[in-house]
Amino acid sequence: MTTVESKQDSVLMAHLLRRAGFGATPAEMDRAMGMGYESILQELINPDHDDIIPDDLIRRYHVDLSDLRSGGGPHWVYRLVMTDTPLREKMCLLWHRVFATAVTKLIQSRPVTNQISMFREHGMGSFDNLLIELSRDPAMIMWLDNQDNHGTNINENYGREILELFAMGVGNYSEEDIKETSRAFTGWRVVNPDYMSIRMRNNTARPFGYMSWQFEYDEVDHDGGEKTILGQTGNWNGEDAVRIICEQEATARFVARHIYHFFVADELPVPQWPHEPPRDPAAIDALVKAYFDSGHNIKAMLEVLFNSDFFKSESARNARIKSPAEMVIGTMRLAGPITLPSDDIFAADAACGNMGQGLMRPPSVEGWQGGVDWINTGAYVERVNFAGRILNDPNKSGVRDIIERIKTYSDAGSMTTDRLAEVAFDVLGPMDVMETTKSGLKNYLSKYGNLSWRDETESNNFDNAAIAAIQLIVSSQEYQTV
Amino acid sequence: MTTTTSRLKYLTNVGFAADFGGRGFSLPTSMAIRSDGRIFVVSRGKPSTKGSNGIQMVSKDHDFYGQIGTNDSALGGMIWPTSIVLDEYENMYLADEKLQRITKFDRDGKPLGYWGDTGSGEGQFCNPSGLLIRGDRMLLVDSGNNRVQEYSLDGKFFGQWGSGGNLDGPFDHPWGICDDIKGNIYVADWRNDRIQKFTAQGAHLASFGHSGSGEGELSRPAGLAVDAEGNMYVADWGNQRLQVLDSRGNYLDSHRGAADLNPWCIEYFDSQADERRARESFVPVYVPDIDDESEISARMEPYLWDPVDVQLDEDGRIYVLETGRHRFQIFER
Repeated sequence: MTTVESKQDSVLMAHLLRRAGFGATPAEMDRAMGMGYESILQELINPDHDDIIPDDLIRRYHVDLSDLRSGGGPHWVYRLVMTDTPLREKMCLLWHRVFATAVTKLIQSRPVTNQISMFREHGMGSFDNLLIELSRDPAMIMWLDNQDNHGTNINENYGREILELFAMGVGNYSEEDIKETSRAFTGWRVVNPDYMSIRMRNNTARPFGYMSWQFEYDEVDHDGGEKTILGQTGNWNGEDAVRIICEQEATARFVARHIYHFFVADELPVPQWPHEPPRDPAAIDALVKAYFDSGHNIKAMLEVLFNSDFFKSESARNARIKSPAEMVIGTMRLAGPITLPSDDIFAADAACGNMGQGLMRPPSVEGWQGGVDWINTGAYVERVNFAGRILNDPNKSGVRDIIERIKTYSDAGSMTTDRLAEVAFDVLGPMDVMETTKSGLKNYLSKYGNLSWRDETESNNFDNAAIAAIQLIVSSQEYQTV
Repeated sequence: MTTTTSRLKYLTNVGFAADFGGRGFSLPTSMAIRSDGRIFVVSRGKPSTKGSNGIQMVSKDHDFYGQIGTNDSALGGMIWPTSIVLDEYENMYLADEKLQRITKFDRDGKPLGYWGDTGSGEGQFCNPSGLLIRGDRMLLVDSGNNRVQEYSLDGKFFGQWGSGGNLDGPFDHPWGICDDIKGNIYVADWRNDRIQKFTAQGAHLASFGHSGSGEGELSRPAGLAVDAEGNMYVADWGNQRLQVLDSRGNYLDSHRGAADLNPWCIEYFDSQADERRARESFVPVYVPDIDDESEISARMEPYLWDPVDVQLDEDGRIYVLETGRHRFQIFER
């Protein structure tokens, strides 16, 4: 194992932990630096355990989350904050963005929560398996009306979107391919399709609460006739359609561009992809090669990506704007583990929505574009307010740890406010910040006067100053990048 | 799950999803049966939805008498209600783990006052859950502090027993509490997956059950009741079933639930022609493709979903309250 020690190595490690996770607490950064880039990457890509959350405690104390009719967001926030397998959760966010499914139509968040769990299980495996599971996913079926896709009367919604938005992109298939793909997915529905559909349409929990859905294949309703999909002819079913789609070069390029867009650098909006080349064609080529060399394996693509020069390069660092979920979850993780019951998980879920990324509430099947769309005046104010709310308590374990680490920079039990500003950037970083950001922080902190922690009164004052520093750094322009 | 033939016979159910109050319940957590047959059901509801929590008054014959309580912290209000119990004068006592207090209502539902002090010291509690009244004393399950406390009915502290742990006597997030005709106390030791039996003074007598889903095994037992023969009726919350154990903890019976449409539901469908029509082809129970009992309950309407409380009436009927389905199912055995 190679241990990395240089400043440059720590900057690269911080970059990896921001992109493949939600940033690192100082303690996590210490651990990562002790292990080295390669070992941490392997741990992220190959988590050796399931991510267990105390679902029993959540259901007992947050009874309004127990049936997951509308509490999917807070429920997921809890997991995102507490997970020790952050890349797996990051992949859930990626697939949630690509295969965008919203509770707004489904009227309950349990099926979407189950869909996210499916991403958790299959999101880093074979893309073929992922697409098959997606096609069997009850939330997706109801979201895109595949329960109305009958052998005698097709509904093209899912057939169109699997080609256009989920796997290939516009320009790589024909209208006839859409019809034929839709025929392949006839009979893929949920149990009790008529009753479940009308309950959804009527937005009703009556008589006995919401009901979760189960996939069902109805062979009688399936069109077993011959079909030609992307040039291949046979009596195709849905699994065949997925196999054919996943064999396409266009699919590999589409998946590669999404992964690059999510982990490396903002691409143009997806609708422009057919008309504009990728930002880094060589990077896409490398990811496409990994796709085919590995038998369409997502993990293999990630391994190539995180080991690549295009990912590690200085120009890639802090080059993207944090998504609301990245900002909110990263801030929550800085504050420390959540104790149940918790109001913070609801505040975090609401904050994501107010910043423009309501978890499980994408604006449409096209998901979120992200990039500069994540920041406007209102969203920025929301970010500042959220950081202020979550990081305002010195007794939260993560906040306490940061404060105590700041104190270790002085043997004298005292520190100037200028020094506090410098040290706080170091403890929360490493961060490259503009001089104006530093001077602004120093100016603000100067109101606390000379700082020390020799008695309780002085310690309280120091805590307040340190918390102000942490809040302002997390609210800074630089902290909004990843 | 057990395949043994059950002697438990499903009789009927009472309930209806009422998110905004009115006839029905919203995520109910506790119930109490008065001597005249009036049943008080506590709806935990959604804190953000006005009217979704309160105490609904019903009968086993589907009469609805109204609702008590408001969704706030004022006198008579509640935020996260956990448990309700009646004293011999039929006053009601309601525990609330958000407000960390016990509220007393008179027989007609008029709030009389509340008491409670948050903490871990003597006379303080954290997340009060199960309540039991014996004469002029209240036993309160102080779940957050893993202990049982004894108070007068106006909140004067008398003593406590229990601690955190998994040996005989200690608890891990205990929930429900009841007694038997001999005065022994039973506590649903929720996260230890067992029932613990104590003397009235808190001396440990026995522990029943261990983690699992087989006969006699428990997963997060929430509420319980004990009949005159000492049989225990357990809301086996994690296994999503009612389980019956004899006085030694041996398995006797279990039931997964069998709810059908009660008269409130039928009235609803009478006014919803499209839903009634679609329901004609509805298959309520089918073969699940998973083994997660909570998710199975979320799919199968007749099944118990998060059974949380068990009460017995004077005729031996067994009432099982289920949070997820906003109703209670009634059985006999």
